[in-house]
Amino acid sequence: MTAVPALKVENAAKRFGDTPALAGASLTLEAGEWLALLGPNGAGKTTLVRSLVERVRLDSGTLEIFGQRLDGSAAAARTSGRLGLVPQEIALYPLLTAAENLRLWGELSGAESLGERIEWALEWIGLEGRRHDRVATFSGGMKRRLNIACGILHRPDVVLLDEPTVGVDPQSRERIWEMLGELRSAGAALLLTTHQLDEAQKVADRIVIFDHGRDVASGTFQQLVEETVGPGRRVTLRLAAPIAAPGGFELDGSTLRGSLADLAEELPGLLERVAMAGGRVLDVEIEAPSLQAVFIHLTGRELRE
Amino acid sequence: MIATVMRLAWTNLTRDRAALFLTFLVPLVFFSIFALIFGNLGGGGDGGPKALKVLVVDEDGTAISARFLATVAAQDGLEVTASAPGDDGGAGERWTRETALREVRRGGAAAAVVVRAGFGDSYGDFGATGAPLELIHDASNPLARYTVNGLLQAAAFQTSPGVLMERGLEALEDFGGGGLTQQQRVALGDVKSLISTVTAAGGGTGGGTGGAGSLVAAEVTAAHDEAGEGEEKKSPSMVAYYAAGIGVMFLLFSTVAAAGTLLEDQESGTLDRLLSSRLGMGELLRARWLFYSLLGALQVTLMFLWGALAFGLDLFTAKRLAGFALMVLVTGAAAAAFALLLATACKSRAQLGGVSTIVILVMSALGGSMVPRFVMPDFMDTLAKLTFNGWALDGFLKVFWYDDPAVGVAGGLVDLLPQVGVLAAAAAVFLWLARRLARRWETA
Repeated sequence: MTAVPALKVENAAKRFGDTPALAGASLTLEAGEWLALLGPNGAGKTTLVRSLVERVRLDSGTLEIFGQRLDGSAAAARTSGRLGLVPQEIALYPLLTAAENLRLWGELSGAESLGERIEWALEWIGLEGRRHDRVATFSGGMKRRLNIACGILHRPDVVLLDEPTVGVDPQSRERIWEMLGELRSAGAALLLTTHQLDEAQKVADRIVIFDHGRDVASGTFQQLVEETVGPGRRVTLRLAAPIAAPGGFELDGSTLRGSLADLAEELPGLLERVAMAGGRVLDVEIEAPSLQAVFIHLTGRELRE
Repeated sequence: MIATVMRLAWTNLTRDRAALFLTFLVPLVFFSIFALIFGNLGGGGDGGPKALKVLVVDEDGTAISARFLATVAAQDGLEVTASAPGDDGGAGERWTRETALREVRRGGAAAAVVVRAGFGDSYGDFGATGAPLELIHDASNPLARYTVNGLLQAAAFQTSPGVLMERGLEALEDFGGGGLTQQQRVALGDVKSLISTVTAAGGGTGGGTGGAGSLVAAEVTAAHDEAGEGEEKKSPSMVAYYAAGIGVMFLLFSTVAAAGTLLEDQESGTLDRLLSSRLGMGELLRARWLFYSLLGALQVTLMFLWGALAFGLDLFTAKRLAGFALMVLVTGAAAAAFALLLATACKSRAQLGGVSTIVILVMSALGGSMVPRFVMPDFMDTLAKLTFNGWALDGFLKVFWYDDPAVGVAGGLVDLLPQVGVLAAAAAVFLWLARRLARRWETA
């Protein structure tokens, strides 16, 4: 018997006027899994997240949370309480203190043992000492952390995170991922929409890429690499002077560029051929296949809205 | 550089419709409203000043009193009635001093003139034998007392030559022996008709208003000085009018400012987060409406309390407190609903600021928050009925100015039913509309 997925989206379609926002998108998020939902602007990521919290009604397609179809019924409403939304905007009241914001959003999301949860959250986000300070006085990173805490006070089984680290410094970003790592330990599933591809590559178990309102690829990073740009490493050699380029490599001034499928096997031979051709290597740069390369490969270089 | 900055300012202005209206249209609207209100007071308008409704009571019942009252009725600027309207729409019972006093007190007329018994006998003695007239006026209308008294003197002036001449002739005939010859009587008849023509021509222009030395002495009584049982004698002042007028106008401004948080929530993303929680839009609007209603009620209460403490506003009687509590709650509720309607109709906080300023200022000018309604021409008084301020002000004035001492606390509340009903209905309609407009923020 297979486990019931935390989220299941099938053939989701939604138009706003003449503009299709979703055009048959599907994805599955397993319980406890971390899934990165990537795509260019206007690909339909936000519309899908909004439809999961019932802020957008689909024209067609189905949404399920732990096997319960979201159809506006009371049972669906109870099930949707297992979702926690962390919006991209800092959706906090700046004149309220950190503790007051936590209490407000905790009450509205139906968090139990709220007093204890607030204490836990303040410690979790490292704002115990600022609990009575107004949010308006906080830095961008502090607001971001509080914004996340407000979305998970009710212990959701699925967290929808929309760009959780946008606009914060590297230290705050690091802290935010540490915090979210604790959620992962507690078994929460997470759907992350982001344009920070390096972060998605680092933290996600699986990646789904949307374009033009539907999913165009999904799998682990390695699977996506193999299906798109291939696993070969990009190699750049800077030489003291130009030489005749070996096969499969291009010469740009005194720089050689090319790709090696098996680095350990092929790199020594390449260096030997360069030496035999009279080249003196000043520097070697090896680049692993990146999600950026996969992303561009799948969605193209054309500017979006 | 200056040209570039000026071009930027001009482009911003022309693309902000609310700013354009505020800059160019609102001043014209306000000028028009105030021109319509005050244009007539100077006699330059077409409609002439608003006629004052005056009740007359003839306790003397002599030919002289009838002649005097007929002359009063002929005065321009007065709308004189001697009888209460009957059930069939015709004339009902004639006013007595008591019924006329109550009618003035409840705001049904600006003044009442009581011609006391003995008026005819003492006519023309210039007040030597006491006041044969009583002028009961609505103290809440400062124009009524002086205008009506002036017109009474004018009427007396027009009536007096004939009466005094007749008196003199009667005395001559009584004490002079043989009386007048037929020729003398014809000649005197010509003189009397000449006098009546001259005085009639001279009358009606307001002559005699405020003149020194009254022709007929009138005892002046403010309707509210006739205290009811257990009531303190106190005339209402303009403080009550402006507490209500300014209070209602700022109630609208403050509730609209508060309701603007709905748009701030939309702009900051908190509205989306609120609606993504267990909270529904209906619940959100109801909670906000309830809060703004209580906030508004508190604001107006503070205004009146300050009026009572600092300016002697008569608030602390059971009847007034009951009426005030009812009016303040229903006014707060309607203002809150109106504010939510404006907020849900606007797309941004900036737009709400512009639109609400225009709407509230126009309604306040028309509804009497800025200029007393009793100086407005009749048609503008009717226009006031289309405004929120107009109904709220009417209700508060019923509580503070036009309370009938013969009516108890419950009766006073019943008397407020038209205003309470209209404001409550308006609140319901505004809320319903706001709920419909708020659908755009719900599920897309």
